[in-house]
Amino acid sequence: MMDVGRHPQVEVMTMTEVISCEGEPGNYKVQLRKKPRYVHEDICVACGLCVDACPEVIGNRFDLGLKARKAIYRPFPQSVPAAYVIDDEYCRQCWRCVKACDVDAIDFDMKEEEIEIDVGAIIVAIGFDEFDAGKLGNYGFGRFQNVITSLELERMLNASGSTNGHVVRPSDHKTPKNITFVQCVGARGEGGRHYCSRFCCMNAVKDSMLIRQHDPQVEEITILYSDLRAFGKGFDDFVERSKSENSATYLRGRPAKIDLVPGTDSLELFVENTTSREQLRLKADLVVLSLAAAPRKGAVELAEILGIDTDTYGFISRKDPAVSAVETSREGVFVCGSASGPEVIPDCVAQASAAASRSQLFLNEHRIDVKKADIEQLDLSGPPRIGVVVCHCGINIAGVLDVDELVEYSSEIPDVVIATGHQFTCSGTGQDAIVELIKEHNLNRIVVAACTPRTHEPVFRDTCSQIGFNPYMFEMVNIRDQCSWVHSKSRKDAQVKARDLIRMGVARARNLNPLYEGEAPMQRAALVIGGGIAGIESATDLAAQGFEVTLVEKEARLGGRLDIPFLKCMYPNMRPASEVMDEKLDRLKNSGARVLLETDVDGISGYVGNFEAKLSGKSNDVLHIGAIILAIGADLYVPVGEYGYGKLDNVITSEQFENLLMMDISDLQVDGKRPINVTFIQCVGSRDPNGFTGCSRYCCPTAIKQAIQLAEIGINVTILHRGIRTVSAGAEEMYRKARGLGVLFIRHSETDTPSVIGDEKATAVRCKDDLLGKTLEIPTDLVVLSVGMRPRQPETHKFHDMLKTSLGLDGFFLELHPELAPVETAVEGVFIAGTVQGPKDIVDSVAQASAAAAKAATLLAHDNVRLDPAVSVVDEEKCRGCGKCAEICLFKAPSLHEVSPGVFTARINASMCKGCGTCASWCPSGAISAMHFTDAQINAMIDAALPVEAKL
Amino acid sequence: MTSEQVKTKDAVTPRKSKRRWTPNIIVFACNWCSYAGADTAGVTRIEHQPHFRIIRVMCSGRIQPAFVLKAFERGADGVLVSGCHFGDCHYIFGNERAVEQFERTQRMVKLLGIEDGRLRLEWISAAEGARFAEVINEFTDQIRDLGPGPFSSRRAGSNNGKP
Repeated sequence: MMDVGRHPQVEVMTMTEVISCEGEPGNYKVQLRKKPRYVHEDICVACGLCVDACPEVIGNRFDLGLKARKAIYRPFPQSVPAAYVIDDEYCRQCWRCVKACDVDAIDFDMKEEEIEIDVGAIIVAIGFDEFDAGKLGNYGFGRFQNVITSLELERMLNASGSTNGHVVRPSDHKTPKNITFVQCVGARGEGGRHYCSRFCCMNAVKDSMLIRQHDPQVEEITILYSDLRAFGKGFDDFVERSKSENSATYLRGRPAKIDLVPGTDSLELFVENTTSREQLRLKADLVVLSLAAAPRKGAVELAEILGIDTDTYGFISRKDPAVSAVETSREGVFVCGSASGPEVIPDCVAQASAAASRSQLFLNEHRIDVKKADIEQLDLSGPPRIGVVVCHCGINIAGVLDVDELVEYSSEIPDVVIATGHQFTCSGTGQDAIVELIKEHNLNRIVVAACTPRTHEPVFRDTCSQIGFNPYMFEMVNIRDQCSWVHSKSRKDAQVKARDLIRMGVARARNLNPLYEGEAPMQRAALVIGGGIAGIESATDLAAQGFEVTLVEKEARLGGRLDIPFLKCMYPNMRPASEVMDEKLDRLKNSGARVLLETDVDGISGYVGNFEAKLSGKSNDVLHIGAIILAIGADLYVPVGEYGYGKLDNVITSEQFENLLMMDISDLQVDGKRPINVTFIQCVGSRDPNGFTGCSRYCCPTAIKQAIQLAEIGINVTILHRGIRTVSAGAEEMYRKARGLGVLFIRHSETDTPSVIGDEKATAVRCKDDLLGKTLEIPTDLVVLSVGMRPRQPETHKFHDMLKTSLGLDGFFLELHPELAPVETAVEGVFIAGTVQGPKDIVDSVAQASAAAAKAATLLAHDNVRLDPAVSVVDEEKCRGCGKCAEICLFKAPSLHEVSPGVFTARINASMCKGCGTCASWCPSGAISAMHFTDAQINAMIDAALPVEAKL
Repeated sequence: MTSEQVKTKDAVTPRKSKRRWTPNIIVFACNWCSYAGADTAGVTRIEHQPHFRIIRVMCSGRIQPAFVLKAFERGADGVLVSGCHFGDCHYIFGNERAVEQFERTQRMVKLLGIEDGRLRLEWISAAEGARFAEVINEFTDQIRDLGPGPFSSRRAGSNNGKP
């Protein structure tokens, strides 16, 4: 949030809504209505004096009314913009806040404004609302105090939330002994909604583990589920961990009703355990309803204004749910995240980047490369001449600490030339005062004792940079957030602490060194490896933005698994794959990307901005590129020896079956006969404790898609599964349709897998039905094995060695962060797109591919690679070449170089180093310095914090 | 560590009055999580005991044994090392290395004869302001119970803050 709030090219307008939108893609005129905040964002310093003055106390909506707030408030502590807001509904205009405000930020004359803006593209990211649990009367929400929602629980579990991290029963504030989660509330058929809400299963599993870790008094947690949909990367492993740690009991069933246990506040749930077929009455002290996502209030109205379609539920419609997660029915208007249906965070983030990438195509001319003007650098050499500014921050600091005393104290510290105080150092006049101070006293170090460097160091550094004062000679001391705000009840000790902190800051300042940002040239070109749907999408998006893109494909054709003969049609709308392929190839052609078929990559060297790739095959070019997108796809599992595959010729894989479907389906023949019974076996090569433990995501909807085609021509279809996971858009509806067509879904347990009967041919499949508790023998003419995905070999190992990017435990390429950076890798400039990162279906692969393109474009938009100087450097004199640093660094910044025969030294590539300093502390010979956090600087602070003599 | 320090240790005389004594605690905190958590405690105004001094580093992986030992050598009564929760590290791997370093530090601290309870490792996220305050209060009380550290007599005065 802070990044977006601070970004020079992003203007954040809160409390604003769209009232009209006219024009065409690339040139929209949007009318906005901005509601009055009654607080000037640019003046408010978020000190909170107004809150203390406000007499109105109301329930905080963010904490769902479980915690109080005032009529003037910040929605939550980290909110952006960091300014207070007045709640019209409750404010009685007593003006006490106006009197309390030191900076005159509060303005009751603010009026509603209408603003018109010109934009090229629009992204709808309005998110979702929780399903209104009150609509389901049988669960007793709203009637029984101890039936709460998953969001209320989430706030309780948050350390800064409504109950400071403790789970309590709302009725008596006691810790519940047993807690029951009810899943799918408002989803999968309930409350008129058919879709699966995707995130609730994992959320319940996570919360149950958190409660167990936090509150040993909670004795039992039960999760009532329909299917545990742990479909994402690593999700199944997480569920397994929860089961092995016994953090919850998993019980398959939905409660018919929830009632009070007479005479108590506890609850009784009437539920059938559908695996053991028992009717149960479960007692619970607290019931948590895992609420589904519902469309955002006002989504339909917004869609009407923007001229885009919504679906039957009221989510924003996607133009083609099989292929693109971000395109709406109107060109130049995009959607991302849960605005178009429930999503988990990793997919939301990927979609957000994809929407950004697609929007770029409409903004080409507007892209700006931010350049810094040349400013003459001040000479800061010589003995330290330190200036100290102590900030009052209104009464935020001065109300607790004696600032004048701190100024006097500071001025007596050796090397301090001048110490002074200022009301609001971060304000315009405060910044000017710093500049004056530096010039007047010829300072070469400056220390500001004020708030936290996490928010304000960039502000002060900017001021320094503007006058050519090296920003790394600036030091900040935190005497507000970490002193006056938290020690107001022990002022004497707070004063001592503030003095100590300033002394430590000055000690560090003495040891600061000027650092200079480096630059390396940027090769504004990209290489996309792999010509499947993901590679095509990445290459197209990047090339259309004007970057030089080379797409290499090993085979003689593009399309990967999407092309004939692999795929006939796509779920959920049964669109022919060939049609989609033609469309995609057309776009690729028009984008100007260079396509090299029958070409392989033999070697890659270099680093972000300056990679060198050697090609082989039809082209032997050597490419100089700034970024690489890896989109080599995945293999499908080959189930040799399983279920008679390879031995019985009517046992085939889902891919082979898709091939059979290519011809006219009414001509479908097995052994020269039209099949009467077809059986699908799911999770072949997925969710396998001895192999790939994850879910392959695409197989459930694929089997259903294939089954529907068979059922429509009267063939009996049985699908044997361990829980159907139809999580993608439209898939749950497909599942319903298949059931309506008579497709038989038989659920078996994870340990009791089906077996195929037959000597030369499969004649039947034996399976223990979980629901009936009986073993069934199902006659069959054809067995289709729904095979999962595996990392593509040998390519995965090859590129892992070549690019030094990490692999996950599952063997797929590891993203930098599952939620925050799903397409980035630990190696800067290398991005991953599609199934190379883990199993996913087409729509998710395409979203990820666009996201990778967006991330690559952000990098390539600059003329130079900016090199942060606050990174680790090696003193080659001291280095003995042990290689420890190279071993531990995840980003592969350090590497060993042979300087003379047999003599090695480590060198750190500044463009790859992130500046964590871990290598500096691991180096056994002390050869590595973490710049700006050197041993000398840290030791000086320790010394200053703990003076051994009465001298400084 | 040298004989000089061992001598100093021997020279420590336990103070009679514990009531007036305030401990000196050094907290090493990573920029992204635990330092931010301390800020969050501030933003939400959660009072906690003021006898600690934070030294900010970018990542808990930077906190080498020498820093901790130096703090004890200079007379710190307790040292808290803190970073991001596992899986939350801004640098992905830094806190995993921090644990290994911390374990080495613990062994060295033990060799010096410093009680276990004077050194602690905690994971605190940027959102956990309340937890930060809780950890500080708990650790401060623990150190108060343990009394002055073995090298605390080297410290100037009782840190009355006079320059």
